[in-house]
Amino acid sequence: MGNLYGDNGGVVQEHQQNSDFVNYCNKMQGNLVADMSNCGSGDLRARKNGFKANETEAKPVNGCLKNCSTNSTTCQQAKGKVCPNSSQALLTPAKKLKELAEEHTTKTSFEEVPLHTACLTYLGFYLLMILGYINQLLFVPKVAKEENRDGYVTLYDAFESFYSRYVYRRVRDCWNRPICSVPGDEVTLKDRVTKDYGWSFQFTGTETRCLNLGSYNYLGFADAKGPCAEKSEKTAREMGLAMTSSRVELGTTQLHLDLEQLTARYLGVEDAIVFGMGFATNALNLPSLISPGCLVLSDEKNHASIILGLRLSGATTKVFKHNNMRDLERVLRHNVVHGNPKAGGKPWKKILILVEGVFSMEGSIVRLPEIIALKKKYKAYLYLDEAHSIGAMGPNGGGAVDYFGVDPNDVDILMGTFTKSFGSAGGYIAGSKRLIDYLRTNSHAHCYASSMSPPIAQQIYTSMSMIMGLDGTDTGRQKINQLARNTRYFRRRLAQMGVITYGHEDSPVVPMLVYLFSKIGAVVRTLTTRHIAVVGVGFPATPIMEGRIRYCLSAAHTKEQLDYALDVIDEISDTLGLKYSRKPREPNPIEY
Amino acid sequence: MLQNIIDFCNYWWFRYLMVTELYMVEKWERVTIHVIFAVLFCLFWYFNYSVLLSFTGNILGITPISTIIDQQGSKIA
Repeated sequence: MGNLYGDNGGVVQEHQQNSDFVNYCNKMQGNLVADMSNCGSGDLRARKNGFKANETEAKPVNGCLKNCSTNSTTCQQAKGKVCPNSSQALLTPAKKLKELAEEHTTKTSFEEVPLHTACLTYLGFYLLMILGYINQLLFVPKVAKEENRDGYVTLYDAFESFYSRYVYRRVRDCWNRPICSVPGDEVTLKDRVTKDYGWSFQFTGTETRCLNLGSYNYLGFADAKGPCAEKSEKTAREMGLAMTSSRVELGTTQLHLDLEQLTARYLGVEDAIVFGMGFATNALNLPSLISPGCLVLSDEKNHASIILGLRLSGATTKVFKHNNMRDLERVLRHNVVHGNPKAGGKPWKKILILVEGVFSMEGSIVRLPEIIALKKKYKAYLYLDEAHSIGAMGPNGGGAVDYFGVDPNDVDILMGTFTKSFGSAGGYIAGSKRLIDYLRTNSHAHCYASSMSPPIAQQIYTSMSMIMGLDGTDTGRQKINQLARNTRYFRRRLAQMGVITYGHEDSPVVPMLVYLFSKIGAVVRTLTTRHIAVVGVGFPATPIMEGRIRYCLSAAHTKEQLDYALDVIDEISDTLGLKYSRKPREPNPIEY
Repeated sequence: MLQNIIDFCNYWWFRYLMVTELYMVEKWERVTIHVIFAVLFCLFWYFNYSVLLSFTGNILGITPISTIIDQQGSKIA
């Protein structure tokens, strides 16, 4: 069965239309390889993800983020110069790449599902569908009937509505739960009950305080108190809550300009542009960068916003297997050699590789150094979506780029959101000055969408300054270290328990596989009774087979909180039968 | 003792409902599915008993015990 919401995979080859389009990216190439070696390329990799030395890692090509953030003047000088060593990355030895690939394999785990569980999951799903159809025959709710439309075909009838009414509705109490507090390390859920199996809910008037393992609050900046909240409040009082205009009209303030500059500095690139909505950053900016006649190589687990953007652009999309470099190279080589079949084999206008830093459903990390090597080999462009990785990865919180210590200028388009680590909202695109200038004139999100609200921008500005250490404290660094420790500890403890988790050991998104729908419901409900709030993810956001519980770790969590959660998870994994893993387990206690 | 047995049965009933996804459906649906399961089981049982058993008996040259009993019965009579 196909993926409904297209949340991952599902990008099929699109129709091509001819249109004249400024081949911007081609101009972009070879133009700006700013010399970052002045910022010092030294020992950035010594402390991996702020946590532990790792000898097998390749040395950075031109790592500078750390020094850029602390010593911006040097970096400013460095910009614009021609880099004498810029060809270094092109010559990345094959051995290093091989080592990187090996390291990726050892650190990333996608354990196979046991056969009997796979069979049961499919059988259970068919059972639910059959029951759903029987249910639909017998009980059609009032909302599902479209009245006074004689002669018209139904407007709202789709598999989606059937699915959400007769499958999802049964466990609807586990999703979209109303909260009534700031989602920090703990969150207050508003209790509700259903008397008609999920068709409607009534509030009981009580509240449940839960440990929050479900928010993308990676660095713990979502807080009702503290410098971020205070400054945002001050800004709200001074500048109001909304600009009520787009950026190109009346919606630009000094705060927005400062935020853009700070973002560029934070990422170690020339310029950045910010948008008020993270989803729209992908969906509306991709169409201004690519057009029909371009080829996009998209990872199969890319987010829905990317898929929507690609469809809007009309470019041809080829999907490669998740994080599979061999498959990516195969598709790349084939398309470079054979060109665009619809244009009689002429070369593609441009080829764009589109990946995410941390994949939100899989918990895996992009194999960035290998992709950069491939991109340079085949002269393709790279668009990196750092929605989940920015702030959460790397010794300086600089995302996947920082984590691998690669030169940020090797990534042509750096995209990310402020919704996660910065505890705010919106998104950014960063890169060379020419790229950003081009977007300022051509991006629909810049021209037409409402500007970012001032208190939101202030929250980002304050939290970003803290991560960079510009406030004179080491709070940001402590948060990054805490997150890295929490992540390692939580993942290793889960592995020791014998549950199946997906992804990379340094990724703060931890999906725990439970496979069956009922188990998603049972786990979420049981954990709520034990005062732990988690997110369950099932079809259509994942394949039918792979229902999962997703834990998102935060720097705000303490070891005691994690220990409590882990003990409860251990207990319920026994009672609900979640310990599917057949891997050898660590016999010794895990150190925090 | 009895309580332990009841708890054990309840627990495994719950696990059974979970792996068959019947945990999250309404009660009448659960009953319907169990009736369907029971009907299917009976049909299979009858099919095995009446068709498959005599068929395999023929192939392997085994005389079903029921036939022997019938023959014995008819002899006595």
